[in-house]
Amino acid sequence: MQRHVSKVELVTASVIALFLVVVFPGLHAAGAVSDFTIKLWGKYLCYGLLAISVDLLWGYTGLLSLGQALFFSLGGYMLGMNLMLMIGEDGQYFKSGNNPSLLPDFMVILGRTELPSFWKPFYNFPFAVAMVVLVPGLLAFLFGFLGFRSRIKGVYFSILTQALTYVAAVFFQNALIMGSNNGFTDFKRILGCDIRASATQRGLYIATALALVLVYAFCRWLTTTKFGLVQRAVRDSETRALFSGYAAANYKLFVFVVASIIGSIGGALYLPQAGILNPTEMMPEKSLEAVVWCAVGGRGTLIGPIIGAIGTNALKSWATRAFPDLWLIILGGLFILIVLFLPKGIFGLLGQARDFFAKRKPEAASATAEPAKP
Amino acid sequence: MKIESTQKTFLLAAEGVNKSFSGFKAINNLNFYLDTGELRTVIGPNGAGKTSFLDLITGRTKPDSGTIEFEGNVSIPKLNEYEIYRLGIGRKFQTPTVYTDHTVWENLLLSLEGSRGVWASLFHQPNSTERDRMDEILATINLVSQRHWKAGALAHGQKQWLEIGMLLAQNAKLLLVDEPAAGMTDTETHKTGELLLSLAGKHTIVVIEHDMVFVRQIAAGRKVTVLHQGSVLCEGSVDEVQNDERVLDVYLGRKKRSN
Amino acid sequence: MTYRLLRTALLPGIAQAMFWFLLGSAAALSASTARQTIATAILEEDAEKKIGLINSLIGNADPAIKPLFDAWKEDAIFLYKAEGSATKVPVSVGEEKDTDGRQAATRIDDAQPLKAADGQPLRILTADYDSAEHDSAIRTAMKGVLDLLDLASPDRARRIQAIEMLGKSQEAEKLPPLLLVQKNVTDTKVRHALREAIALIQLKDEKPETRTAAAQELGALGSIASQDFLQQFVKDNADQPTVARAGTAALAAIANHVRNVNIVGTGFRGLSKGSILLVAAIGLAITFGLMGVINMAHGELIAVGAYTTYVVQGIFATGVVLQIPTFFGQPITVRLSGMNLSGTALDNYFLLALPLSFLMAALVGLALERSVIRFLYRRPLESLLATWGVSLVLQQLFRLTFGANNVQVYSPSWLSGNWTVSDVIFGWNRVFVIGFAIAIIFGTHLLMTKTPLGLLIRAVMQNRQMAACMGVKTERVNMLTFAFGSGLGGLAGAFISQLGNVGPGLGQDYIVDAFMTVVVGGVGNLVGTVVSALGIGLMDQSLQQILLNPVLGKILVLGMIILFLQWRPAGIFVTKSRSLES
Repeated sequence: MQRHVSKVELVTASVIALFLVVVFPGLHAAGAVSDFTIKLWGKYLCYGLLAISVDLLWGYTGLLSLGQALFFSLGGYMLGMNLMLMIGEDGQYFKSGNNPSLLPDFMVILGRTELPSFWKPFYNFPFAVAMVVLVPGLLAFLFGFLGFRSRIKGVYFSILTQALTYVAAVFFQNALIMGSNNGFTDFKRILGCDIRASATQRGLYIATALALVLVYAFCRWLTTTKFGLVQRAVRDSETRALFSGYAAANYKLFVFVVASIIGSIGGALYLPQAGILNPTEMMPEKSLEAVVWCAVGGRGTLIGPIIGAIGTNALKSWATRAFPDLWLIILGGLFILIVLFLPKGIFGLLGQARDFFAKRKPEAASATAEPAKP
Repeated sequence: MKIESTQKTFLLAAEGVNKSFSGFKAINNLNFYLDTGELRTVIGPNGAGKTSFLDLITGRTKPDSGTIEFEGNVSIPKLNEYEIYRLGIGRKFQTPTVYTDHTVWENLLLSLEGSRGVWASLFHQPNSTERDRMDEILATINLVSQRHWKAGALAHGQKQWLEIGMLLAQNAKLLLVDEPAAGMTDTETHKTGELLLSLAGKHTIVVIEHDMVFVRQIAAGRKVTVLHQGSVLCEGSVDEVQNDERVLDVYLGRKKRSN
Repeated sequence: MTYRLLRTALLPGIAQAMFWFLLGSAAALSASTARQTIATAILEEDAEKKIGLINSLIGNADPAIKPLFDAWKEDAIFLYKAEGSATKVPVSVGEEKDTDGRQAATRIDDAQPLKAADGQPLRILTADYDSAEHDSAIRTAMKGVLDLLDLASPDRARRIQAIEMLGKSQEAEKLPPLLLVQKNVTDTKVRHALREAIALIQLKDEKPETRTAAAQELGALGSIASQDFLQQFVKDNADQPTVARAGTAALAAIANHVRNVNIVGTGFRGLSKGSILLVAAIGLAITFGLMGVINMAHGELIAVGAYTTYVVQGIFATGVVLQIPTFFGQPITVRLSGMNLSGTALDNYFLLALPLSFLMAALVGLALERSVIRFLYRRPLESLLATWGVSLVLQQLFRLTFGANNVQVYSPSWLSGNWTVSDVIFGWNRVFVIGFAIAIIFGTHLLMTKTPLGLLIRAVMQNRQMAACMGVKTERVNMLTFAFGSGLGGLAGAFISQLGNVGPGLGQDYIVDAFMTVVVGGVGNLVGTVVSALGIGLMDQSLQQILLNPVLGKILVLGMIILFLQWRPAGIFVTKSRSLES
């Protein structure tokens, strides 16, 4: 594992970033890339953010969180509240004259005549964006604080986050005031722009690509600091880290909150591009799917999860059309094979190969320097 | 406090400590006092409670009853592992416990004294003093050329050394060293002994050991404590304890005299 | 006001008079059969006595009463007067006329054919008889008897229902028959219903002391059904504080009883919910707790058990159709013809389904262990991921084979009834699942402590290497342990098929709860699993009872579990260990 960013990596990353942020949308503007494609890639990159959030926890800290889909959805819900309010006079019920106070349509169906007070601030876009960061961050903080303080780790952490996600999904399915099972859909505009317009979609794509590049850079920096060292020390031997004076719980809590916010940002960007969000998105299965992306690409690397997310979802797009009955079997099978035969994923395999060749040299050199073995 | 009544402040004072694991009494009414600057060797047969005692001092387990006080005013059982570490108590484990996926250099960096906080760790870069200190330790533990190796690739003895190096980097007041010579050659063992002797005085050290040659090397003219069945059997110089009837009984399995 | 006066003062008086009269005539006629009584009544000239005779049939369960009364009302009972005889004989007449225009006749009093003096069956001409007369008073009396017929029904449930209906009518004239019936009833439930009904009617009694006593009686009975009546009673008697107070006291006593019923009922539901959790989690406690394998496909093993039950039931009944997927081609349709059984024979399918569910799930578990899990011992997180993959594959296979919708599993009659004890309903399926959980725990305990396999399992789980050095075939033990744990999951599935829906997603509904149960109990400790399953079950049902909101209850349960783990991070029962990374 490289501790410092090498020139090769810097150049490669910059080229890819440039392509994603500038060239690809440029091609779209020029008409070489279709609206459908740019929307699809926008969603893939959102999944990439989700995958990074899983990897930061699992690959770098040893915390297999099955709750990342929850944070992803929460981000979506927070921005979604703003988009639902922005539908305004384009709503079905307003047009038919039944919704004078411009409520989201599902509230009219519920028979509400006034907006619940906690919805009101979401008219303000910056407020919604702030909530995208704060709400999942706060939830992660609370849950993590209690969980890590009592030293819940390993599979226990997985099981508890799974339960948290499950309960949250049940809650949202029954939360009438958040659209219950149907969730949010039928958005019309974001920041005053028509959400279906080609330019808006491009703008959303660019925002997503930019977010991904920034998150990548942030995580890359984070893992090279001493924090990164402690993070991996906690992953490999939490007890030893405690005996080195590190309050492992605090480190885990920090990573958990950061990862949750990353996931949430991914979800917030996903929402306007997917155009729909409902509680099925936060079922534990979705979290596990994100874990698959991470495992396929290679956990403990940052590029791996992104490639994994894009690759697996591209496969999904194809397979659900070509073999609709078999997609889940393919996904399940892929997962079993990866775990059994490629535990470090595709990128891990490359890393292993590199280590294999690199190791030859120091070992030969050290034969004389090494003190005699007992 | 009890300690004050004796007009003397010990670095570490354990009184009436008990600890049992599902019925088995690992520590039984143990009393143990350690002066600042001491190099104390603790010996005892298997199951005498040596490692359990270190576990209690470092917060790995909590005593069922009794007091353990550090510097006369800090109650150890109330603190958790990292808080105890931050008091200045360092430990080398019986089986070498290093971060196998980190390089030797990173292992030392993680152990280097300094802030352990999350924020500090985000922006910490070792300065030249710190780098010099780490180089010095690398030289002491003879791992200069392996500095970029992953610790997992080191030989057993080297891991022992690395862990001692981590203890040095920590610059603790009290070093708890659990069987440092295990798995080392005679030469390495001797060197370890010399290293520990050189640290005596600057740090307070507790060494747990089996190897009597090694014990004779480091404990010459110093106090040795014999643990048996979770309590102190006797204390004294190496010669005294080696000729103590009770110790011979315990070690050689002679029949206990009726009393 | 006048109406009320009439009702409260006059009617009971009439009823009482009638009652004494009734008692007398009932005693007089006790020796005769219902048929004889009716025959006598038809012949009776005196209108009052006639009605008395009819009323004497109240509380008589003779099945002949209803058809005879019906026939009388429909003019199908005739009076035959033999030539040269002064006595008339009530008869019913056959429909077919022979060539002479004669018809067969049956005597009402003994249901025998009408006979001539020489003993030969007598066939009669239309001219020989008149229909038996009836007026509105007689019809009313007959209706009264018929209304009360169920009071004497041999079917206890119908009897109790009739009694309750009479009580709720609060009509004073219904009181005498109830009192009459009460005299010779020994069945405690019927007695209870009678006391309740009588007290309800007496709430409207003219005497304040009777009303007070009635209210006290209802309170003592803890009669939930009478709460509305008592509330009305308190309002009606507002002018008589002592009487009203008795009503209020009775209401308080009933409220207390309701609370007790709720507590016991919640306790029972909690126990049964806990048993379901336990049954679902016990297999997991073995594979996860003892072997350290996080089997996310455990839920699907439960589903294997449930689907096995479905198939067995199908074979016993009308057959099942399975679509065996062939992946890239058309699925193969397999039709398993049924044995078309019904009743008890069909009910017995469940007895066969139980062992087969265990076996099927154990086989699937065995295959899973051999193909995936054995490579992942000591890598719990990886086993979690790989088995999740397995769970996806299995779910999709269920969907392809059995369809995406839920399948119907028929419950044997001995699992679908219930007992009601003092207003608490004990469903048989829930009672059965509790018993079953106890049996499983007991069986598992015996297996672990008393059999050679149990000894080997415990040895391998404690120290795999050491056991291997001692010559234990650890691979085999792992295999068998995992298969056993999986089989227990299958058994759970057989039960869950009796309690809820069976569909491809069945396993997902139980897996989260099952894992929580094991974690809270303390991994590696079966006793802990039992305690935590019961604890979570009771807590879940209590919160539902208190909050009346299952979703909020579920969220609170999770919250409490997280807080509980703050207090005891390793679960209820901690397995202590001295190694550094445990």
